[in-house]
Amino acid sequence: MGGYGDVKLLRDDGKRLDGRTVDEMRPVSIEAGVLPAADGSAMVTHGLNVAVAAVYGPMEAHPRKIQRQDRAVIDVRYNMAPFSTGDRIRPGFNRRSREISKVTAEALESVVLVERYPRSKIRVEIEILAAEAGTRCVGLTAAAVALADAGIPMRDMIVGVASGKIEDTVVLDLDKAEDNYGQADLPVGILPNTGEIAFLQMDGDLSIEEFNLAMKYNFKAASEIHVLMVDALKRRYERGDN
Amino acid sequence: MVELVPTLLRQELERLAAENQRIDGRGQWDSRDVSLEVDCLYNAEGSAKVVWGDTIIYAGVKFEIRTPWPDRPTQGSLMCGAELRPVAHRKYEPGPPSPQSIELGRVVDRGIRESGCIDMEKLCIVPGEKVWGVMIDIHVLSDGGNIFDAAGLAAIAALRTAVVPAERFDVGEDHRLLVNGSPIMASFTRAGGRFVYDPSEEEELGGDERIHITLGDEGHLHSLQKGLRGVFTPSEFAEILAVAEQKCTKLREMVAEKEGN
Repeated sequence: MGGYGDVKLLRDDGKRLDGRTVDEMRPVSIEAGVLPAADGSAMVTHGLNVAVAAVYGPMEAHPRKIQRQDRAVIDVRYNMAPFSTGDRIRPGFNRRSREISKVTAEALESVVLVERYPRSKIRVEIEILAAEAGTRCVGLTAAAVALADAGIPMRDMIVGVASGKIEDTVVLDLDKAEDNYGQADLPVGILPNTGEIAFLQMDGDLSIEEFNLAMKYNFKAASEIHVLMVDALKRRYERGDN
Repeated sequence: MVELVPTLLRQELERLAAENQRIDGRGQWDSRDVSLEVDCLYNAEGSAKVVWGDTIIYAGVKFEIRTPWPDRPTQGSLMCGAELRPVAHRKYEPGPPSPQSIELGRVVDRGIRESGCIDMEKLCIVPGEKVWGVMIDIHVLSDGGNIFDAAGLAAIAALRTAVVPAERFDVGEDHRLLVNGSPIMASFTRAGGRFVYDPSEEEELGGDERIHITLGDEGHLHSLQKGLRGVFTPSEFAEILAVAEQKCTKLREMVAEKEGN
């Protein structure tokens, strides 16, 4: 969180700079089955963010030391394309992408029925093509749709959403300016049917009341996005190619 | 990952070639469907998406301000890189850039650079102090065969629609990048003993050497590359060069059409 209090992020009418109300998401669209080479794939646009996820497997887990005798491991790579941000990013892993990959993998392992595939590996590749705040959530949502598209059994879907705080006000789904100059960010991965949480991070400053309100907004957004995820999968199977 | 080349696939490609057929029903010099979209990514100063059969590639252009090389104080620079990310196929694994991705980036780079479509002198801001560095990144999302032609097309389309972000760097007003010409690549793979245009994934898997030809607007050659194991004759080359001329002209028209929008 940048936390500069002098940047104005709320208008006099209480709306945000892009005209959204405090509990309004940016527009989201989802498409499943977008990459012919992959076993499952999805593209999610969320505001100006564009994330693509591909799933390969289950396949043999190698190197062998990563194998688990009782379950599959999920190997996630979250990667930002060099042209996805304001300044070009040098290709390759960095500390941020490694951490996001790790917690995303653990979130997905919490919903995928990994016990069904002992000693195997499921590869999940998340590529961020355009970044405008909230990419880890958009990537998580894309990964969940791609896993479902690959026909991998899951106990529930998982939806990535975030709320935060700007000018001492809790708001849903921070955009770029709000993320840079806001006071808190709370990205979570929600299981829409069970209401459980499989992904949680936060930075900034939130009171308990603010946290509760932010979570309330997150659950609202998760159910809205879940409808779009299900719809994308239905459309994909109506289309019926590959 | 080492790919197993099924003997049966090679035999099938040979059988089909003898009957002048291809595995997906195309003629020897037919292309798959190609679609091109430009200016499709926020944050990239120029961007393009190419869907070429089952191959999907994005290219994005970014700019940076750098100090010029001491021996070329008035020239900017151009760099074109490619990443064969593991997202694109199960055969691609994570790690440092593979020889294949380096080859892809460099072949596309040479075609653009050597065609002279970017005037490096025009990228100068303050001689000896500040010049623009133009960076094209090719991001392969799905490898369904012939990634070279798709990458070349995405790169030139992204470049031709790029806007120099001068305002963001406080060096004047934003303006369209000046690009004189559209170098276009045409690729051929030997499948079943003869060359075919626009190889599919199966033709690459069961085929032999490949040849990449980049032609400029005047029909001049700007980059050639022969890859993989195999040999070819001058008359074979003459034949595919004639095909390349037609194919490149059509694709150049497609780029021009998209730019107009």
